[in-house]
Amino acid sequence: MHGPISEVIQFIDLNVYTITFLFLVGFIGGLVSGFIGSGGAFVLTPGMMSLGVPGTVAVASNMCHKFPKALVGAIKRYKYGQVDIKLGLIMGLFAEIGVQVGIMLQKYILDKWGEAGSNLYVSVVFVLVLVIVGSFVMRDAIKMKNATGEVEGGTSLAKRLQKIELWPMVTLKTANLRISMWFLVPVALATGMLAATIAVGGFIGVPGLMYIIGATSIVASATELVIAFVMGLGGTLIWAYYGMVDIRLVMIILAGSLFGVQLGAIGTTYVKEYMIKYVMATIMLIVAVSRFFALPKYLNQLQLISWNDTVVGLMTKTSFAIMCLALLVGASIILSSLFKARRLEKMATLNA
Amino acid sequence: MNSERDTFRHTLDEASLTAASAAPDRQKESPFILAITRNGHMSEHVMDYAVNVAHRLGYGILAVHVDTLPFFRDRGKRSKLFAAAMVESAAQFNEKAARMGVTVEHLGEFGKIGSVVNRLCRSKKRIEFIVIDKGIRLEEAARQSPVPVFPVISTKTGHFNKTIFHNPQKKGAFAMSTITKKRHLKNCCLFGALTAGLYTAVFANQDVVMTYFTKGGMFALLPVATVFAVSYFHGNFTSFFWSALGIEASKKSSTQRVAPEPRVTDAVIAPRPDTRPRIQLNAEA
Repeated sequence: MHGPISEVIQFIDLNVYTITFLFLVGFIGGLVSGFIGSGGAFVLTPGMMSLGVPGTVAVASNMCHKFPKALVGAIKRYKYGQVDIKLGLIMGLFAEIGVQVGIMLQKYILDKWGEAGSNLYVSVVFVLVLVIVGSFVMRDAIKMKNATGEVEGGTSLAKRLQKIELWPMVTLKTANLRISMWFLVPVALATGMLAATIAVGGFIGVPGLMYIIGATSIVASATELVIAFVMGLGGTLIWAYYGMVDIRLVMIILAGSLFGVQLGAIGTTYVKEYMIKYVMATIMLIVAVSRFFALPKYLNQLQLISWNDTVVGLMTKTSFAIMCLALLVGASIILSSLFKARRLEKMATLNA
Repeated sequence: MNSERDTFRHTLDEASLTAASAAPDRQKESPFILAITRNGHMSEHVMDYAVNVAHRLGYGILAVHVDTLPFFRDRGKRSKLFAAAMVESAAQFNEKAARMGVTVEHLGEFGKIGSVVNRLCRSKKRIEFIVIDKGIRLEEAARQSPVPVFPVISTKTGHFNKTIFHNPQKKGAFAMSTITKKRHLKNCCLFGALTAGLYTAVFANQDVVMTYFTKGGMFALLPVATVFAVSYFHGNFTSFFWSALGIEASKKSSTQRVAPEPRVTDAVIAPRPDTRPRIQLNAEA
């Protein structure tokens, strides 16, 4: 990406099927993003590629749709008082550095082991991060659900880190905590690196904000939108500089995703805090399963295993289907809990 | 500025004194209707409505004039006029109330409507509901109020014929929610049209757009500017779209709940050390 693009890029023609698909995926992805702070992007890139969009254009267009979506979501959630702008901007800035580091790492792997090696690296990171972080978040969500009190006071790790007075200290008003910059930076860098690798930095960013920094899940997921905005804007400027952004695809996806992101943000005001963790963990674990199915393809290409091509092809398709399923499951949990909570609130006011 | 404030306070004291004869015994804590205005003269409809309802329910009225611009830069002219108007207004209110045998207390306040409402509702008085005058937005008062808020709407002929009701907890077929819904619908249509225009402009000129937008270099600003425009127009459109459908944020989180008052516990008074001189007897038998 850091070199002149010599080959002529093919931009696809649009038809009803493409438009509907992108709109729907945009909507569902937006819904999930508005609710847990990120997500949806991981389906869009492979989705666009399956429509015949070249990989780089798919990645660039995905990036370009991400930051306006995050902006709209962040503004909406700021109105609900959930966003810590200072935290988001600081994290976003360092996440941007993380993205550059991630790209360099990718390049190094690409040079050393070729495309299949790079894909394998991406998939392994995907599976490892998602399984480890996802199961941790899931365990926490279940614990919170079973606990009678709904107090979310941050983990003991976060509390211990907040006690360490290491210059420069940052005071965060909305998140209601004070922590040293030295602990913010690694989380931000990791978020950026993950974003560069699997396109969804939020899978590290949000849990990092919750368990290491000590923000509540509502504030963490809302602040992640600011981080995504900063990262997305930076990334888009670079991609657009090389003329890779297909504005038509971006606008179609945005048409759907802005509907979704508004609804997702509204959803956060109704549900209990553990629901955000629950939805996030569910999506992460299902996506991990999906990436697991994608592994044989790359292992085949590297000639580490030699499976039948049809089997591998089937597994690759299954992988994509499971990925879509992850989004659908997340979206349906969000929608059902939103409407359930709305109904309960209405009944409560009628009885009052 | 302080002296001006004092004069204002002073006039207010006079105003409340005129009503003090009718003021109820505070100890009884009889229920109140809070009539609040930010104008010098409270409108007559509000007075009539408050007096009528208070008469029917046997409540008292707490009439509050809020000077929302106490530091207006005109060397206190506005504050003086406001105070003078308030005295007139208070006298008129007293007259109306006296006819119906309703007690009125007057108060002059400074600051924002929301915080005044919040402060008064938290103080010991039992305020049952609030009537707001022209010029106060419903949301402004309702957001910080633990009790229902009623705006009084008057028609051009001068008679109030409709009192619409807003309970922060309820949203339904009441007039207010219909009005906001209409506004949402209007905004939704406006931004929907703008979004549609933007999309049409881009997709109708696909070829030109794609040539320039993918040129790279400084042309990179074109797609970025376009998506910013999309996020503004389409973002607003989608926001109003869900609002028009009635899907809005939970009232629980957007309405500030009044924190429960801290329980007053009597301080335990430690027995004072006895320092009085005492006679000590050495009884040696």
